Amino acid sequence: MWTIRRYPLLWLLPALLPVAAFIVYPVAYAFWTSLHGVMLLFPGEPFVGLDNYKRVLSSGYFRTAFLNSVVFMALAAPLVVILGVSVALFLQRRFAGSMIVRSVVLLPWVLPGAISAVLWIWVFHPSFGIINGLLEWAGAINAPIQWLNTPTLAFACVLVAHIWTQIPFAVVLTMAALAAINAETLEAATIDCRSGWKRFWHVIFPEIKAMVVVLIVYNALVAFTTYDLVYAMTGGGPGTATTLLAFQIWRESFAMYDFGAGSALAFVMVAVAGLLIVLITRALPSDLFEERP
Amino acid sequence: MSLKKFAAATALLGAAWAAQPAFAQDITLEFVVWNYALDTIQDNVKKFEEANPGIKVNVTDYTWPDYQDSLVLRFRGGTQTDVLYGGQDWLPAWASAGWLAPLEEIAPEGMIDTLTKEMAGFALSDVTYGEKVYGLPYYADTISFLYNKNLLDEHGIAVPQSWEDVMAASEKLKAAGIDRPIVYEYNQELPNFFDAFVAQVYGRGGELFDKDLNAVFDQPDNAAYKHLEWLREAFEKELVQPENHESNIITTMNTGKHAFTIVYNYVLAAMNNAGEQPLAGQFALAPMPGEAHSTLGFAKFYAVTATTAQDPQRAEAAWKFINFMAGQPYDVAKRWAVENGLGFGQLPLLQDPEVKEAWGKWVDMDVLAKQIENARPGTWTEWTAVWSAYFRPLLASAIVGEIPVEQAMRDGAERWNMLREQFASR
Repeated sequence: MWTIRRYPLLWLLPALLPVAAFIVYPVAYAFWTSLHGVMLLFPGEPFVGLDNYKRVLSSGYFRTAFLNSVVFMALAAPLVVILGVSVALFLQRRFAGSMIVRSVVLLPWVLPGAISAVLWIWVFHPSFGIINGLLEWAGAINAPIQWLNTPTLAFACVLVAHIWTQIPFAVVLTMAALAAINAETLEAATIDCRSGWKRFWHVIFPEIKAMVVVLIVYNALVAFTTYDLVYAMTGGGPGTATTLLAFQIWRESFAMYDFGAGSALAFVMVAVAGLLIVLITRALPSDLFEERP
Repeated sequence: MSLKKFAAATALLGAAWAAQPAFAQDITLEFVVWNYALDTIQDNVKKFEEANPGIKVNVTDYTWPDYQDSLVLRFRGGTQTDVLYGGQDWLPAWASAGWLAPLEEIAPEGMIDTLTKEMAGFALSDVTYGEKVYGLPYYADTISFLYNKNLLDEHGIAVPQSWEDVMAASEKLKAAGIDRPIVYEYNQELPNFFDAFVAQVYGRGGELFDKDLNAVFDQPDNAAYKHLEWLREAFEKELVQPENHESNIITTMNTGKHAFTIVYNYVLAAMNNAGEQPLAGQFALAPMPGEAHSTLGFAKFYAVTATTAQDPQRAEAAWKFINFMAGQPYDVAKRWAVENGLGFGQLPLLQDPEVKEAWGKWVDMDVLAKQIENARPGTWTEWTAVWSAYFRPLLASAIVGEIPVEQAMRDGAERWNMLREQFASR
């Protein structure tokens, strides 16, 4: 009588309610906010249509933040994947202390973003940082480099910190993909091909290709929406040098009390991120997720 | 028991219950602070609770950079907040939004007049909005120009009187091997990044706005414009060591490799703390360079929310609490002054022997007294905090040469004038 077939929605309700409460409602409310003048210091929340969107899209801060985010994503995603795969290949080998190294490599993944940021602030500190210390010790520099206070260098520093925090996840997933490769295939490849690079490219990579693509898409999204490191390391600065879109959403909403503009910017970011996913997946080989014979 | 007796007994019990003191049932006040010296805050709260049975105080703290957003969300979200730390730059916005209550609404009659008569001018100005007093000072301080006495003596350099002197002295020190003589708090997300800039402009005798609140700092002959050019030049010549927080400035100055910095006065107390810093005693306060030698004075204060003021019981408890923390005989303000070197808005403390003795260890009291006399309040409007969040990145960009000074000042002035109109017509 009360079969799932007869009342499918009713049976799904316990699962759908939390989804509605925690995802649908906040997203819908944010969309509503983006269409209204929600300036915290002003009374009322009048309907303003697409004004918030026009305003954020025409602002100088948006152009800078958008460009920064695109460059950040274009550099971070491939670098995380290349380094992650390299580390995973290295860690697959058995050597003395390999288990300890595997655990240590995962460490950045378990650290909260704010803690990682503080750590990197000290690494890049001009007077007390280890990088300047090493460079001075090696005689490579005479005066400390202002890593986080020089616009181009600050961008690179945040990028390095971001890559550092994201590599472990890429390593874990790649190692899982590597573990699924048939051992006999690898053994045969070792016998047939002496070049490590050729072995990787012709035997291993085709086996982990699907995982690599997933990692690229995932890391592109993470890089495009990153916020915590920027907030804690540079505050988007110097000036706008490290202002990314997600950080600009925070600034519009919380520093300028303009939740209407902040929400509009958030939806613009979601749209751009969606477009990027489509573009990335379309640019990939079409046979990627097909079942192998 | 007859029905009559039972009714009489019930009435008697009811009357006895009604006649109990107001605080027989505990009230828990929600007190929101930024996380400076939490141990001292908790200890002060404990003393208050001991002196006021029936009132408990629950302390919630946020970091300084997160404080403003967190409070705005608490106000908007209706999170119970009774007493809080307020800032001069946020007061007009928060008061005009109806989030804070004038203290006259909750204080016994005449008490506010008594307390404000003993308040420093800039402190009173900073706790006042629309001719109503919204707070009592937690601390009041000035932004100061500090220098390393030993380093200047060693290189035969006199204490700079103007910004040109600071530049010349820094170049001389750099030539002598002191790589970056000026340490500067460079963090565009902190409100004090803008405050320090204003203090330097005041040193030059300048104004950022005219009497009608029009932005005038975008005019090339304006002191703010000139000073931004000065900062740009100092950064370009690699005379400045940027630091992102005052706590780092304390450590950096104590390396002995830097001569000048511009920070809150209490940082000098920390820099000269013999128990913690290797070069304690080498640092001194000088009048802010410039023709006027003026600086920015400001007050952070205890404020009460409007929702609390509407509840008579909570309002009474809240008043007792802030009066304990900032009212006569100023014991808590004195404790902050003696133990932490925090400035105060309560003028009688200037004559307090304990304060004099404690402060004499880290600052020349005569120089400080002159600085306090010369200090001026900032221009705090309903839109200043919002505008400052927009302007600070422009300021930071211009300082490091990412955009021209002219562009930063023009964009900043346009935004100020736009916000002024927007707020006028809201």
